[in-house]
Amino acid sequence: MPLSTPRLTIDRRTALLAGAGLLGGGLALPARGQDGGAEAVYGPDDPQARRGGTLTVAIANEPPNLDPFHQAGDARTAITVLMYQGLMFEDASGVAKPLLAESMAVSDDGLTYTFTLRRGVRFHTGRTMTSADVKYSYDYVRNPANGSPGALDFGTIAEIGAPDDHTVVVRLSEPNASLPMTLTNRFGGVVPVDTFATPQARARLSQQSVGTGPFMLQEFRPQSHIRMARFPNYWRQGQPYLDGVLFSVQPNAASVLVALRSRRVDLALLARPQDAEQLQGQAGLNITSASSLRQCSLDLDGNHAQLKDPRVRQAIALAVDKDAVMQASISGKGKVLGTIPAAMQESWGAPISALPNQKPDMARAKALLAEAGLPDGFTMDLISIIGFEWMDPAGVTLAQQLAPLGIRLNIQRVELGVWLNAYRSRNMRFTFNDWGTQPDPHILYYRHFHSQPRGADFRNWNNAEGDRLLDAGMATADPARRKEIYVEFQKVVDASVPTVMLFSPDLVSVAQQRVRNYAQHPTGWWFGLAKAWIAA
Amino acid sequence: MIEALLRRLGAALVTLVLATGVVFLVIRAVPGDIIGEMLGQSAGDPASEAALRAFFGLDRPLVTQYLTWAGDVLRGDLGTSMRQGLPVLGIVLDAFLVTLEIGLATLLVSILVGVPLGLAAGVRPGGVADMMVEGFTLLGLSAPVFWTGMVLLILADSWLGWSPPLIYTPPSVSLADNLEGIALPVLALGFLQAAAYAQFTRQQSAALMRQDFVRAARARGLPARVVYGRHLLRNIAIPLVTYAGLILVQILGGVVVVETLFGIPGLGRTLLAAIQGRDYPVLQGALLLTVVVALLVNLVIDLTYALIDPRVRGA
Amino acid sequence: MRRVRIELAIGLALCALFLLISLAPALFAGPSDAVSVARRLEAPSAEFWFGTDETGRDVYARVIHGAGTTLGIVGVAIGLAGLIGGGLGVLAGFAGRWADLALSRMADALLAFPPIILGVILASTLGSGAGNLVLALAIIYVPVFYRVARAAALMESNRAYVEAARALGYGEAAILLRHVLRNVAPVVALQCVILFPLALQIQAALGFLGLGVPPPTPDWGASLQESRNYLTAAPWLALFPGAALLLAAVAASLLGRALQARHT
Repeated sequence: MPLSTPRLTIDRRTALLAGAGLLGGGLALPARGQDGGAEAVYGPDDPQARRGGTLTVAIANEPPNLDPFHQAGDARTAITVLMYQGLMFEDASGVAKPLLAESMAVSDDGLTYTFTLRRGVRFHTGRTMTSADVKYSYDYVRNPANGSPGALDFGTIAEIGAPDDHTVVVRLSEPNASLPMTLTNRFGGVVPVDTFATPQARARLSQQSVGTGPFMLQEFRPQSHIRMARFPNYWRQGQPYLDGVLFSVQPNAASVLVALRSRRVDLALLARPQDAEQLQGQAGLNITSASSLRQCSLDLDGNHAQLKDPRVRQAIALAVDKDAVMQASISGKGKVLGTIPAAMQESWGAPISALPNQKPDMARAKALLAEAGLPDGFTMDLISIIGFEWMDPAGVTLAQQLAPLGIRLNIQRVELGVWLNAYRSRNMRFTFNDWGTQPDPHILYYRHFHSQPRGADFRNWNNAEGDRLLDAGMATADPARRKEIYVEFQKVVDASVPTVMLFSPDLVSVAQQRVRNYAQHPTGWWFGLAKAWIAA
Repeated sequence: MIEALLRRLGAALVTLVLATGVVFLVIRAVPGDIIGEMLGQSAGDPASEAALRAFFGLDRPLVTQYLTWAGDVLRGDLGTSMRQGLPVLGIVLDAFLVTLEIGLATLLVSILVGVPLGLAAGVRPGGVADMMVEGFTLLGLSAPVFWTGMVLLILADSWLGWSPPLIYTPPSVSLADNLEGIALPVLALGFLQAAAYAQFTRQQSAALMRQDFVRAARARGLPARVVYGRHLLRNIAIPLVTYAGLILVQILGGVVVVETLFGIPGLGRTLLAAIQGRDYPVLQGALLLTVVVALLVNLVIDLTYALIDPRVRGA
Repeated sequence: MRRVRIELAIGLALCALFLLISLAPALFAGPSDAVSVARRLEAPSAEFWFGTDETGRDVYARVIHGAGTTLGIVGVAIGLAGLIGGGLGVLAGFAGRWADLALSRMADALLAFPPIILGVILASTLGSGAGNLVLALAIIYVPVFYRVARAAALMESNRAYVEAARALGYGEAAILLRHVLRNVAPVVALQCVILFPLALQIQAALGFLGLGVPPPTPDWGASLQESRNYLTAAPWLALFPGAALLLAAVAASLLGRALQARHT
């Protein structure tokens, strides 16, 4: 297999600096600290940690199953990250850090990534992980015949080699600075060779886990609970601190609150950040709030009726008062967005003040509509999804905000399955959306906004300038240059309005006092449990 | 007799086939499928969607899909859940046992409350007890069960500072935890069904009170209690038991919203999750079970009547 | 009999009240969609009898304005089901063997499903909105009406006067219309009243599951769904719309009982 020689190897200090210095990206990083850099992922180690105990977590959103490769849903990822690990870790800073890899090196042309694997990593099945397992896992995900929703993300991979047990070489068909972030925990989990060889594989994954993560599956009872036990052979000596984790599926947000108050659960992430006020003054609860990578947005289909005209889309953007929508939807417990989710604004975002279409401007909106030949407005359906509660008040507020333009909105509620069907067939029309990302601009934008077939272009945006910038961003390794490109891209989004990103609801985690050292990851996934512990 | 039984059985079978066919078609008419849930907002290329569709057999003609499913069912195989990959039979039976327990507990509560109330009301129609029971049945039958459940939750929280446990515990593991978990749903359902029982018992006993042999017994100077014990209860016991069957079917079908409200992993919640997740095999399996139970209960009721009532026997 | 009369009077009065509220809600309350963040989640007071909701809307006004939506949907659905089911039932009772057999098996098949499950499937298929909700509820209850009407029609068609009419040479259609309809119609109408509270509960349950009318239309079931998030923090959100449902169902039940008592 012809491979270029690794060129760039950055030591751990540089990698951390890159993280602290706002940017980072696909450049690189390894780590040969005492523990291979592992003390940096999942949050800080805690020398005072007490071992033992089972932590109960309430979740209101149940994963359909625990298959790390065949489920796109956030509810799945949130939980499987504790059982399955990728080569890299999606650090909150926006830099991918080594996880099952110990170090990574990139060739001069940016086409070859060489990963040295951590030694002594065991699967829950008892076997020791080798490069063959990594090759099998990633070859499986990227093969469209296997139907993994991650296939598109892995699309730039041309070939994966395993020259020896501890080395994996990934060769790309074109430079992709986001490869390290792609090999993180959403679809980048490593499973043993031939995991999916038998038809029983899917049933098996609902009964036992086969990953390398700190916890292993003990019991999965749909509509009820998921029980995990500490993996005794976990590669990180002495971790996790907890003996087990019990995820209890709660029927709704209110029952999560009641359970927290009556101390039946130790930890929960509030689906509605505004619920925190119902817990104010409750003794014994620690409430923390942080920016998230989730975005609540309004999507505009470039093939749908009046929305075909960019001036109409702009007019709508100019009529929206995002702060008012956020106040109505989640009582203001979030961050108003420009063109990127809150937790990425600092590292990758265009300054909101530099974007002309982010402040409400009725006069300009009216002028644009008139220019588009619609001085009296029009009537349109606004689609909201059943079960996404913020969309109801947001829809009512939005209808009021667009009324002065003569745009009359009829709110249509559709079931999630129906909505996804329309969305994926690129017939999304004018709809609310609610989605999250890993902290990388390529992963965030490319699939959603690049024209087909390289991207999915759900919004039928088909913007050549946007495509050009997205391709450039993918190919650029230098963090500073990369940010410039994505800022340019955001200006295009702001001007042409395929979407109006409204707000990121805050991630509000609530824990009983006895829960210690839990760090909330901005994805909203449960990484933090790997290092949490329970005080006596 | 045998012929009537066979005819009923035949009709039940036709109903069963039709009902499963209807479900099969209607659920597939709902836009979206399991693949939508799997891929979410991560559309891949058409090849991967096609691969998934083939994996689940969704690419075959509807008739083939139905016949395959029906054939498997006849061999005792309800298929595999598209979401969890687990056998449907296990999923559905687990859930059914939970719901059955709630159904039986509700039945017990409603008989214990409803029958005495109905008897008390039936002794003297128009009396004070009758009026009060009348009010009870009116409220019980009119209140939406899930709303009763919500009110119970509010009361438990504000008066007792108590909330239901997080997880349903099977009675085999811990009876106390189990009872704690099903208490509120059973009370909510029981309020409705006790009202139904009270009304039914009142009607039956009021009708009996008018019958000659009861009047005669009372005229002979037997106290009301004795008349009740000897005649009434014996005479209304059978209708009450058959009524229990009907109520049970009603509970099994009606727990959907209550299970959702209280987070009970029963048949109703399983059905709802299967509809929302487009898990066709689970939905079909769960509905098959519901329909079979309903048809069986009805058959048993008819049979009971045929055995005790000579007029029906001839029919 | 005195009790029947009292029940009838109370039932009629309540029904009339609900009808009036449904048709002219403005007589009873101000606008139902006045949003105000400043006064969100206020407990019941002299100003807001039933308190305010998450967005500061007056719960009392939402309950009053919701009557028309909720009761209207149920009323129209039951009426529609009565017409279709009743018509088919008469047809089956009269037309004889094959049509009867086919229709009856279909009705059995639909009746074999728990109504709420049928409702969820239908509402998911048809999509949200008042019209589709009406349709879903109507489909649930068509087989019930069918059975009642068919039984009544069978009884009527065997009566002496129908036989006599046949003998006199009236055509089938004329007999059907003149005699049977006249006698079956009251049975179906009574069934409408009896089924009303049940359909009301199904409608509310669908709204509770999020399958009801979309916002901002006020609807009791939808209000109950919204109330779930504040069950213990703001119980008035759940109590009042639920109490309205309860009262409406009681009104219909009273009327139904009284009418039934008269009928038999």
